[in-house]
Amino acid sequence: MSSVSTTQITGTSLELLRRLRGPNNEGALALILVGLVIVTSIANPAFFTVPTMFSVLRNSIVPLIFALGVLVVIISGGIDVSFPAIASFAAYSTVRAAQEFFDPGLIGAFAFALGLGALLGLVNGIVIARFRLPTLIVTLGSQGVFIGVLLTYVGSEYVAQLPGSLASLSKTNLLEVSSGGRGAFLPVMVIPAILLSVLVTWLLRRTMFGRGVYAIGGDVEAARRAGFPVVRIQLLIYVLVGMMAATAGVIFTIMGRSASPRDLVGIELDIIAAVVLGGASIFGGRGSVLGTLLGVLIVQVIGSSLILAGVPSAWQRAAVGFLLLVGVGVQAVAARRSARHRRVVRTEEVVA
Amino acid sequence: MTTEQGERTTSPTSPASPASPMAAIDDGYRSFLQRAHVDRTTGRMLVLTVLTFTVFAALNPQVFLNPLNLQNIAVASPEIGVLAIAMMLAMLTGGIDLSLVAIANLSAITISTTYTAIASGNPSLAESLTPVLVLEGVLVGLVAGAVNGVLVSRAGITPILATLGTMQVFNGIAVAWTGGSTLYGLPKSLANMGMATVAGVPVLFVIFLLVAGAMGLFVARTPAGLRTQLQGANPVAAKFSGIDSASVLMRTYMVAGTLGGLAGVLFVTRNPIASADYGASYVLLIIVIAVLGGTNPSGGFATVAGVVLATLTLQILASGFTAMRLSAYEYAIAQGVILILVMITDQMRLRRRRRRRQAGPDKVAPQTTDKTLTSGR
Repeated sequence: MSSVSTTQITGTSLELLRRLRGPNNEGALALILVGLVIVTSIANPAFFTVPTMFSVLRNSIVPLIFALGVLVVIISGGIDVSFPAIASFAAYSTVRAAQEFFDPGLIGAFAFALGLGALLGLVNGIVIARFRLPTLIVTLGSQGVFIGVLLTYVGSEYVAQLPGSLASLSKTNLLEVSSGGRGAFLPVMVIPAILLSVLVTWLLRRTMFGRGVYAIGGDVEAARRAGFPVVRIQLLIYVLVGMMAATAGVIFTIMGRSASPRDLVGIELDIIAAVVLGGASIFGGRGSVLGTLLGVLIVQVIGSSLILAGVPSAWQRAAVGFLLLVGVGVQAVAARRSARHRRVVRTEEVVA
Repeated sequence: MTTEQGERTTSPTSPASPASPMAAIDDGYRSFLQRAHVDRTTGRMLVLTVLTFTVFAALNPQVFLNPLNLQNIAVASPEIGVLAIAMMLAMLTGGIDLSLVAIANLSAITISTTYTAIASGNPSLAESLTPVLVLEGVLVGLVAGAVNGVLVSRAGITPILATLGTMQVFNGIAVAWTGGSTLYGLPKSLANMGMATVAGVPVLFVIFLLVAGAMGLFVARTPAGLRTQLQGANPVAAKFSGIDSASVLMRTYMVAGTLGGLAGVLFVTRNPIASADYGASYVLLIIVIAVLGGTNPSGGFATVAGVVLATLTLQILASGFTAMRLSAYEYAIAQGVILILVMITDQMRLRRRRRRRQAGPDKVAPQTTDKTLTSGR
């Protein structure tokens, strides 16, 4: 009798722990983030100040928007490395078009960039969904094509002067705090990042499209048999990633106050690392916006604490790579253990 | 056996597919292939190589057929070819190795730094230690490959992510080590070897052919190679046939890493500099070559001969582009387009074959033969 109640108690406490941990280890990630902030702040008090915090947030805006798009792809069981190319393509072409012809205004510029992003995403989507090809290799190839076309036919020069409508936003801040002589500011671009996070959360959790993304990531064949329009959903996914990338590209250009077609090249690993660290499974079917947000913040906090600690920026690339390996390694080992555990349970059931 | 032959004779002109250039080439040279007993992908590759060569030779014969240009192709191919063979090995097991170029650069940097360190004290000693330096570079590759192997086979991390991570780590180490600058200190004997020729053929190219031959024998003729193929073709079946997947994967990534280290030696032999960001465009290029050479990216099928021919084709293309005064970016576009087109063509053919198999060979075979006859050949 007593043994039953103890198992019940441990059962409920386990349940509580599980709920705190979240479906994709969000709780654990939040703990890691808080721990990181505390450790860095103790090691270097300069870290725990409003300017540093704002700078972390500021640096997270563009990666977060990229990561939201990549999250959707990864949940669907794919991987996309062409998004920096799409972002450069859309943003740089928009700036050049505004220079050559006329300034279309802020909304016009975003619409133009989004259209380009959607188009390039559609190219990826058609090749991947129609022919069921490996996503990494397709996007690796299309990335070469996009960058090649951009540099050959659109242009390759650095543009220092943005069109007026975009430039006006560069210095608009949402929040300005001056503390200890140093001004801390949060640019207005935080708002689209938050809105897009909410939008993707809604898409993933409340729409048929979102269900479809998870279903395809879990098992394509099962999703097909359950009646999901797999090809259409996959097309939509890559169009969505293209549009997210275009948005991130334009925002990156606005915040950087200049446009260059090569700035974003090589950013893909940081983003994929953040998404995977955020609990999204590379095999598909798992992942959440909250986890991705935490993953992006962790990568940024580690980056800025390395800078504060005086680590040369060359090592940061290695650090992110290492972080990715640790994150994925933990996932892989945990998956293997749970698979073994399940097998043991099953054989016990058979024996019983 | 009969179905196999039926497929082979009918598939290229099957009405189900739009007439793609690859299929057309397959069609035209099929009889030649059957006589030559070359397997299909390698044959297609051979035709493509000759075709590319002919096109550029016809377009700009003065520049392209210049012996110097041909020798340049032969000197530039080995480093890319060795990396592509390494990529092919990883793909053969259904994986991928994105860290190969980073490994090669790390190997090149190690050789250069060691040489400079020894040469500052005793230049002639450093020069005489060249074989040791070469061995050191290859060893760096082996160790780096072992790191990949452990991550993939023991920790069970997906190869894409494992090698994406190690690529960044190796590259980060290289950047931090060199401080982002280019290193120039390298033994003269290596540079001399890079320029030497045997009967008009550059030594580097001979080395490439030797490596390719050895890897070809390994994949096609040894039990270990067969196990590697089976692992890629069907991991579950391989496991139940008593193949130790972990050690197969471990060995594959170690061999791939070693080849990466060797490619680093070839880097410094051809071009006596070492830097962390040499060959940044090679990652895409070697995947293009491996896939074009008939490697199935999901594993189980690959031929070294196909990869060697694909390397030559892409090099001919590159030098042809240069001869035509096209930019490196246009070459990147061509690479991407080739990669995607080849994969689409392969996929279409696979699907057609599968569909026919499902429909039953007896019913469909005569029908397709019929259509082949009426398709106007």
